[in-house]
Amino acid sequence: MKLSRRTTAAAALAGAAAISLVATGCSSNSGGGDGETIELTITTFGTFGYEDLYTEYEEANPNIDIVANNIDTGGNARTDLFTKLGAGSGVSDIVAIEEGWLGAIMEVSDQFVDLTEHGIEERAGDWVDWKYEQATDPEGRVIGYGTDIGPEGLCYNGAAFEAAGLPTDRDEVAELFGGEDATWERYFELGQQYTDATGKAWYDHSGFVWNAMVNQLEEGYYTSDGELNVDGNAELRERFDQLAEATTNGQSAAQTAWDWNGGKSFVDGTFATFVCPGWMLGVVQGQLEAGGGGPDTGWDFADVFPGGAANWGGAFLSIPTSSEHPEEAAALADWLTQPEQQVKQSAAAGNFPSTLEAQEELAANPTPNEVFNDAPTGQILASRAEGVVAQYKGPDDSIIQENVFGPALQALDRGEADGDTAWQEALDLLVELEVE
Amino acid sequence: MTSTLDRPDLAVPAPKRPATRERLTWRQRLGRFDVKASPYAYISPFFVLFGLTGLFPLVYTLVVSVHEWELLQGQGEFVGLENFANVLQDRFFWNSIFNTLSIFLLSTVPQIAMALVIAAVLDQALKARTFWRMSVLLPYVVTPVAVALIFSSMFNEADGLANNLVGLLGIEPIQWKHDTLASHIAIATMVNWRWTGYNALILLAAMQAVPRDLHESAAIDGAGTARRFFSITIPSIRPTLIFVIITATIGGLQIFAEPKLFDVSSAGGIGGYDRQFQTTVLYLWEMAFFRQNFGEAAAIAWLLFLLIVGIGLINFFISKRIATAEGRVIKKRTAKRLATKEVGK
Repeated sequence: MKLSRRTTAAAALAGAAAISLVATGCSSNSGGGDGETIELTITTFGTFGYEDLYTEYEEANPNIDIVANNIDTGGNARTDLFTKLGAGSGVSDIVAIEEGWLGAIMEVSDQFVDLTEHGIEERAGDWVDWKYEQATDPEGRVIGYGTDIGPEGLCYNGAAFEAAGLPTDRDEVAELFGGEDATWERYFELGQQYTDATGKAWYDHSGFVWNAMVNQLEEGYYTSDGELNVDGNAELRERFDQLAEATTNGQSAAQTAWDWNGGKSFVDGTFATFVCPGWMLGVVQGQLEAGGGGPDTGWDFADVFPGGAANWGGAFLSIPTSSEHPEEAAALADWLTQPEQQVKQSAAAGNFPSTLEAQEELAANPTPNEVFNDAPTGQILASRAEGVVAQYKGPDDSIIQENVFGPALQALDRGEADGDTAWQEALDLLVELEVE
Repeated sequence: MTSTLDRPDLAVPAPKRPATRERLTWRQRLGRFDVKASPYAYISPFFVLFGLTGLFPLVYTLVVSVHEWELLQGQGEFVGLENFANVLQDRFFWNSIFNTLSIFLLSTVPQIAMALVIAAVLDQALKARTFWRMSVLLPYVVTPVAVALIFSSMFNEADGLANNLVGLLGIEPIQWKHDTLASHIAIATMVNWRWTGYNALILLAAMQAVPRDLHESAAIDGAGTARRFFSITIPSIRPTLIFVIITATIGGLQIFAEPKLFDVSSAGGIGGYDRQFQTTVLYLWEMAFFRQNFGEAAAIAWLLFLLIVGIGLINFFISKRIATAEGRVIKKRTAKRLATKEVGK
């Protein structure tokens, strides 16, 4: 075969075209209504628990047709939304935004509908105050209806605790960890006892524990003024060293997050404790199903958290300015985040509502969660939500969590680095990834 | 194939040009224009589409690459070549180039070797030939995403099929998703599984065009199967082999779906927590859609483009040499045939 110069040039151009196509991506448009029936698209992620509510809303509003899309993880939902915002089209009428990447969204808050135009101000008192504040941009525009918040409790495996001679009753477990004064020292101390006694890991992997430890601080990777605050942050470093020591001593199961060996690691006793924000209960349930486990696997939920109250995640429903039906979309998002609906959502997904009324409802009416040994998870979460303060999330918060500390903690988990080298690795990555 | 039209008889003399240039009628001029311009109109759809979907993004990517450009905020200041300088100093870029070339070598070399063997086997007089030929093409029908998901499960470190098999041999479980070399082998396996059969069929087509009498005479001269394969089959299909190598090169340098989906736990899939199997296209994706730095992502796209052009040029020179080699083979062949004819007389 003989290639002429021109063919080569054309082939090279075609190759370049293929690459540039990769960069440009593609998107599809959301459908419009025909005047009679209005089609509203909504994108959520993880376990949101909205399916029944959609049906209910459609029945009450025959002219609304809800087209729902759920993305498996918050991380993928972030990529999906950012890509579509970058492309300038394709964002659904209502999109769920996670607290962890709200900081990046706030940089372009003008691409979202100001909900004060749709009367969200009248509802300001519905939510815990910090939830409403989080959704308010510096210009005072409110861009999201709060759905859930992520107060963290401790998931533990009763069977594993029993095997190691630890108490299994959830109140006793809460006491064991120190009740109101639970600390990470105590958590890792018990972990060492457990690991020494059984030879098994205490927590699934360092990343989630680290996330909890950071989220709990008054200021995380950023100061409240939005300044990056990692290098030279003694508080962070101290916690990192605690975690590094425990991990080095075998307390981490070095699991792959969001996979957990296809859920099997939740079933076969690979680890005994798991940090559980409200929404994580739904994730655990899904993992148990995937791994062939269920209520008899022994998972339980204790009203305690090392280091005191902590919040991880929680979401908002936002409406992009590109939506063709902002009025109807706002009505639906408003309805979905009403206390009454939040209670139903919590029952379906196990997550914890962000409105005061719904929280009180859950606290007053304990409902046993059969997956977690009949623990009244809603009530426990209401107790865990006390004293939670929102932490300022900077624009690159999720990148620091995943791409800066992620690799460093994995190296730690796998025994490829000790605390000092892992911390240094994180600092190097922070510089190399040009985090602002 | 298309049938060719009969050639106009050249023996018929062309109509003589009138000595004085007559004024052409409108129809005649239109006819002339038609003859000259129509071919371009017929081939224009490709170029119009290519301009829209190929050339425009290419140029636009260049524009993006010389600006500060955020995914969400859009265009920023003009920064000249700063993005290129940053990318060239970025250890993750070079890491991705290394990974790309490593996976490319691990996939292309065994793939083409296997394809050659399979094609040679299929070239024999087999029963139910079409069945066998279609069978080797089956993996090609499966989308890369499905392949990646299936193999990702097979290469699961805890209790995947691959580790169960090596366990039978008494080997310690391999860290398919953490060890650099092991992960490259795993990804190369996916690529090979998908493309070997496809390449085998192309090579098979070439092999069938090799004159049988060459094989027969070689067999009469006492050449064994292996000898005939290496001395007759391979030299005869060299041009096709080069084509297969070029397409495999282009494909190999653009591997994306396989490493993206092989381990989705780190930041939605950036090719391993330590970027052990992050290819350049995957790094481009991370830069653009995870880190939101469109400017540098565009610079990466251009550098990868230049790399492919570079390798394309190398291929061009090689194919030129092969073409001359082909000429030599044909000359030899004719000489041989003439010689046999002489002997036969």
